[in-house]
Amino acid sequence: MATYSLANERLRALEDIEREIGAILQNAGTVILELSKEKTNERLLDRQAAAFTASVQHVEAELSAQIRYLTQVATGQPHEGSSYSSRKDCQMALKRVDYARLKLGDVARTCEQMLEN
Amino acid sequence: MAQQRALPQSKETLLQSYNKRLKDDIKSIMDNFTEIIKTAKIEDETQVSRATQGEQDNYEMHVRAANIVRAGESLMKLVSDLKQFLILNDFPSVNEAIDQRSQQLRALQEECDRKLVALRDEVSIDLYELEEEYYSSSKADADSWAPEQSPWPEHLMDRQFTATIRPEPFPPCRGMEIIGRLVWRRLSLENGVPQDRGALLWAELSGP
Repeated sequence: MATYSLANERLRALEDIEREIGAILQNAGTVILELSKEKTNERLLDRQAAAFTASVQHVEAELSAQIRYLTQVATGQPHEGSSYSSRKDCQMALKRVDYARLKLGDVARTCEQMLEN
Repeated sequence: MAQQRALPQSKETLLQSYNKRLKDDIKSIMDNFTEIIKTAKIEDETQVSRATQGEQDNYEMHVRAANIVRAGESLMKLVSDLKQFLILNDFPSVNEAIDQRSQQLRALQEECDRKLVALRDEVSIDLYELEEEYYSSSKADADSWAPEQSPWPEHLMDRQFTATIRPEPFPPCRGMEIIGRLVWRRLSLENGVPQDRGALLWAELSGP
Protein backbone atom coordinates (compact mmCIF):
# COMPACT_ATOMS: atom_id res chain seq x y z
CA MET A 1 0.00 0.00 0.00
CA ALA A 2 1.44 3.35 -0.96
CA THR A 3 0.35 4.92 2.28
CA TYR A 4 2.48 2.74 4.56
CA SER A 5 5.71 4.03 3.04
CA LEU A 6 8.03 3.98 6.00
CA ALA A 7 7.29 0.41 6.99
CA ASN A 8 7.25 -0.79 3.39
CA GLU A 9 10.58 0.85 2.58
CA ARG A 10 12.51 -1.23 5.08
CA LEU A 11 10.63 -4.40 4.23
CA ARG A 12 11.30 -3.77 0.55
CA ALA A 13 15.02 -3.32 1.34
CA LEU A 14 15.01 -6.68 3.10
CA GLU A 15 13.31 -8.29 0.11
CA ASP A 16 16.02 -6.83 -2.15
CA ILE A 17 18.62 -8.37 0.16
CA GLU A 18 16.89 -11.75 -0.22
CA ARG A 19 17.09 -11.44 -4.00
CA GLU A 20 20.74 -10.49 -3.72
CA ILE A 21 21.50 -13.58 -1.63
CA GLY A 22 20.03 -15.65 -4.45
CA ALA A 23 22.24 -13.74 -6.89
CA ILE A 24 25.30 -14.49 -4.69
CA LEU A 25 24.69 -18.23 -4.95
CA GLN A 26 24.04 -17.86 -8.67
CA ASN A 27 27.35 -16.05 -9.20
CA ALA A 28 29.26 -18.62 -7.12
CA GLY A 29 27.76 -21.41 -9.22
CA THR A 30 28.66 -19.65 -12.47
CA VAL A 31 32.28 -19.17 -11.35
CA ILE A 32 32.67 -22.83 -10.38
CA LEU A 33 31.00 -23.95 -13.63
CA GLU A 34 33.35 -21.80 -15.64
CA LEU A 35 36.35 -23.21 -13.75
CA SER A 36 35.24 -26.75 -14.55
CA LYS A 37 35.57 -26.11 -18.32
CA GLU A 38 38.70 -26.98 -20.19
CA LYS A 39 38.94 -23.60 -21.80
CA THR A 40 37.87 -20.94 -19.33
CA ASN A 41 36.67 -17.50 -20.28
CA GLU A 42 38.83 -15.39 -18.01
CA ARG A 43 36.91 -12.17 -18.44
CA LEU A 44 33.62 -13.83 -17.50
CA LEU A 45 35.35 -15.51 -14.58
CA ASP A 46 36.76 -12.23 -13.25
CA ARG A 47 33.46 -10.43 -13.76
CA GLN A 48 31.43 -13.08 -11.94
CA ALA A 49 33.95 -13.35 -9.11
CA ALA A 50 33.96 -9.56 -8.65
CA ALA A 51 30.13 -9.53 -8.67
CA PHE A 52 30.10 -12.32 -6.10
CA THR A 53 32.48 -10.47 -3.76
CA ALA A 54 30.64 -7.14 -4.16
CA SER A 55 27.26 -8.77 -3.50
CA VAL A 56 28.51 -10.52 -0.36
CA GLN A 57 29.93 -7.26 1.01
CA HIS A 58 26.77 -5.35 0.13
CA VAL A 59 24.52 -7.92 1.83
CA GLU A 60 26.69 -7.85 4.94
CA ALA A 61 26.64 -4.04 5.08
CA GLU A 62 22.87 -3.79 4.56
CA LEU A 63 21.99 -6.42 7.13
CA SER A 64 24.35 -4.85 9.66
CA ALA A 65 22.64 -1.49 9.08
CA GLN A 66 19.21 -3.04 9.60
CA ILE A 67 20.30 -4.72 12.82
CA ARG A 68 21.86 -1.45 14.01
CA TYR A 69 18.61 0.41 13.30
CA LEU A 70 16.60 -2.21 15.17
CA THR A 71 18.95 -1.95 18.14
CA GLN A 72 18.22 1.78 18.24
CA VAL A 73 14.42 1.70 17.89
CA ALA A 74 13.45 -1.49 19.70
CA THR A 75 12.18 -0.89 23.22
CA GLY A 76 11.40 -4.41 24.28
CA GLN A 77 7.81 -3.42 25.06
CA PRO A 78 4.84 -4.51 22.99
CA HIS A 79 3.21 -1.82 20.89
CA GLU A 80 -0.22 -1.06 22.31
CA GLY A 81 -1.52 1.38 19.71
CA SER A 82 -4.37 0.49 17.42
CA SER A 83 -6.78 2.04 14.95
CA TYR A 84 -9.71 0.24 16.56
CA SER A 85 -11.61 3.36 17.71
CA SER A 86 -11.59 5.03 14.29
CA ARG A 87 -12.46 1.69 12.67
CA LYS A 88 -15.44 1.34 14.99
CA ASP A 89 -16.60 4.90 14.28
CA CYS A 90 -16.35 4.27 10.55
CA GLN A 91 -18.26 1.01 10.93
CA MET A 92 -21.05 2.82 12.79
CA ALA A 93 -21.19 5.48 10.05
CA LEU A 94 -21.56 2.75 7.41
CA LYS A 95 -24.28 1.14 9.52
CA ARG A 96 -26.09 4.50 9.64
CA VAL A 97 -25.92 4.75 5.85
CA ASP A 98 -27.28 1.20 5.47
CA TYR A 99 -30.08 1.93 7.91
CA ALA A 100 -31.04 5.12 6.07
CA ARG A 101 -31.01 3.22 2.77
CA LEU A 102 -33.20 0.50 4.26
CA LYS A 103 -35.76 2.93 5.59
CA LEU A 104 -35.90 4.98 2.40
CA GLY A 105 -36.47 1.70 0.59
CA ASP A 106 -39.45 1.08 2.84
CA VAL A 107 -40.84 4.53 1.99
CA ALA A 108 -40.40 3.85 -1.71
CA ARG A 109 -42.18 0.50 -1.48
CA THR A 110 -45.02 2.07 0.49
CA CYS A 111 -45.40 4.85 -2.08
CA GLU A 112 -45.50 2.30 -4.90
CA GLN A 113 -48.13 0.26 -3.09
CA MET A 114 -50.27 3.31 -2.59
CA LEU A 115 -50.00 4.25 -6.23
CA GLU A 116 -50.94 0.75 -7.31
CA ASN A 117 -54.01 0.65 -5.04
CA MET B 1 26.69 2.77 19.84
CA ALA B 2 26.00 6.22 21.35
CA GLN B 3 22.23 6.00 21.23
CA GLN B 4 21.78 2.42 22.36
CA ARG B 5 19.12 2.07 25.04
CA ALA B 6 18.97 -0.39 27.84
CA LEU B 7 17.02 -3.14 26.11
CA PRO B 8 15.61 -6.08 27.97
CA GLN B 9 18.06 -8.93 28.11
CA SER B 10 16.09 -11.07 25.69
CA LYS B 11 15.92 -8.39 22.97
CA GLU B 12 19.60 -7.51 23.45
CA THR B 13 20.54 -11.17 23.23
CA LEU B 14 18.35 -11.64 20.20
CA LEU B 15 19.93 -8.76 18.30
CA GLN B 16 23.41 -9.97 19.23
CA SER B 17 22.52 -13.42 17.97
CA TYR B 18 21.39 -11.87 14.67
CA ASN B 19 24.76 -10.16 14.34
CA LYS B 20 26.61 -13.38 15.10
CA ARG B 21 24.55 -15.36 12.60
CA LEU B 22 25.22 -12.74 9.93
CA LYS B 23 28.99 -12.78 10.54
CA ASP B 24 29.15 -16.59 10.63
CA ASP B 25 27.15 -17.08 7.46
CA ILE B 26 29.09 -14.49 5.46
CA LYS B 27 32.37 -15.98 6.69
CA SER B 28 31.20 -19.47 5.77
CA ILE B 29 30.25 -18.39 2.24
CA MET B 30 33.54 -16.59 1.62
CA ASP B 31 35.77 -19.29 3.12
CA ASN B 32 34.10 -22.18 1.34
CA PHE B 33 34.12 -20.35 -1.97
CA THR B 34 37.80 -19.49 -1.59
CA GLU B 35 38.66 -23.08 -0.73
CA ILE B 36 36.78 -24.39 -3.78
CA ILE B 37 38.76 -22.03 -6.00
CA LYS B 38 42.03 -23.20 -4.36
CA THR B 39 41.06 -26.85 -4.75
CA ALA B 40 40.38 -26.31 -8.46
CA LYS B 41 44.10 -25.56 -8.95
CA ILE B 42 45.90 -28.38 -10.69
CA GLU B 43 48.95 -29.46 -8.69
CA ASP B 44 51.90 -31.67 -9.36
CA GLU B 45 51.55 -35.27 -8.34
CA THR B 46 51.56 -35.76 -4.61
CA GLN B 47 51.78 -38.84 -2.43
CA VAL B 48 48.46 -40.22 -3.62
CA SER B 49 47.69 -40.95 -7.23
CA ARG B 50 45.98 -38.40 -9.42
CA ALA B 51 42.76 -40.40 -9.49
CA THR B 52 42.59 -40.59 -5.72
CA GLN B 53 43.40 -36.91 -5.40
CA GLY B 54 40.70 -36.15 -7.94
CA GLU B 55 38.13 -38.16 -5.97
CA GLN B 56 39.12 -36.39 -2.78
CA ASP B 57 38.89 -32.96 -4.41
CA ASN B 58 35.51 -33.88 -5.87
CA TYR B 59 34.15 -34.88 -2.47
CA GLU B 60 35.62 -31.78 -0.82
CA MET B 61 34.08 -29.49 -3.42
CA HIS B 62 30.69 -31.15 -2.94
CA VAL B 63 30.87 -30.58 0.80
CA ARG B 64 32.01 -26.98 0.44
CA ALA B 65 29.30 -26.23 -2.13
CA ALA B 66 26.73 -27.70 0.27
CA ASN B 67 28.15 -25.46 3.01
CA ILE B 68 27.75 -22.40 0.78
CA VAL B 69 24.13 -23.32 0.08
CA ARG B 70 23.46 -23.98 3.77
CA ALA B 71 24.96 -20.59 4.68
CA GLY B 72 22.80 -18.94 2.00
CA GLU B 73 19.67 -20.57 3.41
CA SER B 74 20.66 -19.50 6.91
CA LEU B 75 20.99 -15.92 5.65
CA MET B 76 17.49 -16.13 4.14
CA LYS B 77 16.15 -17.31 7.50
CA LEU B 78 17.95 -14.42 9.18
CA VAL B 79 16.32 -11.95 6.77
CA SER B 80 12.93 -13.50 7.54
CA ASP B 81 13.55 -13.14 11.29
CA LEU B 82 14.62 -9.54 10.79
CA LYS B 83 11.43 -8.80 8.86
CA GLN B 84 9.36 -10.24 11.69
CA PHE B 85 11.31 -8.28 14.29
CA LEU B 86 10.91 -5.13 12.23
CA ILE B 87 7.16 -5.49 11.91
CA LEU B 88 6.74 -6.05 15.63
CA ASN B 89 9.27 -3.64 17.07
CA ASP B 90 9.80 -0.81 14.61
CA PHE B 91 7.65 1.67 16.53
CA PRO B 92 8.08 4.70 14.24
CA SER B 93 6.69 2.83 11.23
CA VAL B 94 3.97 1.13 13.28
CA ASN B 95 2.88 4.53 14.63
CA GLU B 96 2.82 6.00 11.15
CA ALA B 97 0.82 3.06 9.79
CA ILE B 98 -1.73 3.42 12.62
CA ASP B 99 -2.02 7.20 12.07
CA GLN B 100 -2.57 6.84 8.36
CA ARG B 101 -5.17 4.11 8.79
CA SER B 102 -7.02 6.18 11.41
CA GLN B 103 -6.98 9.20 9.09
CA GLN B 104 -8.42 7.16 6.22
CA LEU B 105 -11.18 5.74 8.40
CA ARG B 106 -12.03 9.16 9.87
CA ALA B 107 -12.24 10.70 6.39
CA LEU B 108 -14.60 7.92 5.28
CA GLN B 109 -16.75 8.39 8.37
CA GLU B 110 -16.98 12.16 7.81
CA GLU B 111 -17.96 11.64 4.20
CA CYS B 112 -20.71 9.19 5.20
CA ASP B 113 -22.09 11.58 7.79
CA ARG B 114 -21.94 14.51 5.37
CA LYS B 115 -23.93 12.59 2.78
CA LEU B 116 -26.45 11.47 5.39
CA VAL B 117 -26.99 15.06 6.51
CA ALA B 118 -27.48 16.17 2.89
CA LEU B 119 -29.92 13.29 2.35
CA ARG B 120 -31.80 14.23 5.48
CA ASP B 121 -32.15 17.82 4.34
CA GLU B 122 -33.47 16.73 0.93
CA VAL B 123 -35.91 14.22 2.36
CA SER B 124 -37.19 16.72 4.90
CA ILE B 125 -37.97 19.19 2.09
CA ASP B 126 -39.92 16.51 0.21
CA LEU B 127 -41.76 15.41 3.31
CA TYR B 128 -42.65 18.98 4.10
CA GLU B 129 -44.28 19.31 0.66
CA LEU B 130 -46.08 16.01 1.11
CA GLU B 131 -47.37 17.11 4.43
CA GLU B 132 -48.54 20.43 2.99
CA GLU B 133 -50.36 18.61 0.21
CA TYR B 134 -51.92 16.15 2.55
CA TYR B 135 -53.18 18.57 5.15
CA SER B 136 -54.56 20.90 2.53
CA SER B 137 -56.57 18.09 0.89
CA SER B 138 -60.26 17.64 1.65
CA LYS B 139 -59.82 14.11 2.99
CA ALA B 140 -57.37 15.14 5.68
CA ASP B 141 -59.96 15.26 8.44
CA ALA B 142 -62.32 12.64 7.12
CA ASP B 143 -60.57 9.38 7.92
CA SER B 144 -58.64 7.98 10.77
CA TRP B 145 -56.50 4.91 11.18
CA ALA B 146 -55.64 2.80 14.06
CA PRO B 147 -51.94 3.15 14.58
CA GLU B 148 -51.22 -0.45 13.57
CA GLN B 149 -52.96 0.10 10.21
CA SER B 150 -50.81 3.02 9.17
CA PRO B 151 -48.99 2.35 5.91
CA TRP B 152 -46.17 4.72 6.83
CA PRO B 153 -43.07 3.39 8.49
CA GLU B 154 -42.38 4.56 11.97
CA HIS B 155 -39.31 6.58 11.05
CA LEU B 156 -41.40 9.07 9.09
CA MET B 157 -42.95 10.04 12.38
CA ASP B 158 -39.52 10.59 13.76
CA ARG B 159 -38.70 14.25 14.29
CA GLN B 160 -35.13 13.60 13.33
CA PHE B 161 -36.24 13.61 9.69
CA THR B 162 -38.41 16.71 9.80
CA ALA B 163 -39.67 19.02 12.43
CA THR B 164 -43.09 19.31 10.84
CA ILE B 165 -44.23 15.70 10.67
CA ARG B 166 -46.83 15.05 13.30
CA PRO B 167 -46.84 11.88 15.32
CA GLU B 168 -50.38 10.88 14.29
CA PRO B 169 -50.57 8.22 11.58
CA PHE B 170 -51.84 9.20 8.10
CA PRO B 171 -55.36 8.00 7.24
CA PRO B 172 -55.95 6.23 3.94
CA CYS B 173 -57.20 8.54 1.23
CA ARG B 174 -56.40 9.96 -2.12
CA GLY B 175 -53.67 11.80 -0.26
CA MET B 176 -51.54 8.64 -0.48
CA GLU B 177 -51.65 8.84 -4.22
CA ILE B 178 -50.73 12.51 -4.16
CA ILE B 179 -47.90 11.85 -1.74
CA GLY B 180 -46.45 9.16 -3.96
CA ARG B 181 -46.72 11.34 -7.05
CA LEU B 182 -45.08 14.27 -5.33
CA VAL B 183 -42.09 12.16 -4.29
CA TRP B 184 -41.60 10.76 -7.78
CA ARG B 185 -42.11 14.15 -9.39
CA ARG B 186 -39.62 15.80 -7.12
CA LEU B 187 -37.05 13.13 -7.76
CA SER B 188 -37.76 13.22 -11.50
CA LEU B 189 -37.37 16.99 -11.67
CA GLU B 190 -34.12 16.94 -9.81
CA ASN B 191 -32.70 14.17 -11.92
CA GLY B 192 -34.27 15.32 -15.20
CA VAL B 193 -35.40 11.85 -16.21
CA PRO B 194 -39.01 11.02 -15.29
CA GLN B 195 -38.84 7.36 -16.21
CA ASP B 196 -38.66 4.23 -14.13
CA ARG B 197 -39.58 5.30 -10.65
CA GLY B 198 -38.06 2.34 -8.95
CA ALA B 199 -34.72 2.72 -10.68
CA LEU B 200 -34.79 6.42 -9.98
CA LEU B 201 -35.28 6.00 -6.29
CA TRP B 202 -32.71 3.26 -5.98
CA ALA B 203 -30.19 5.40 -7.84
CA GLU B 204 -30.89 8.13 -5.34
CA LEU B 205 -30.52 5.77 -2.42
CA SER B 206 -27.43 4.01 -3.64
CA GLY B 207 -25.47 7.22 -4.04
CA PRO B 208 -22.14 7.40 -5.96
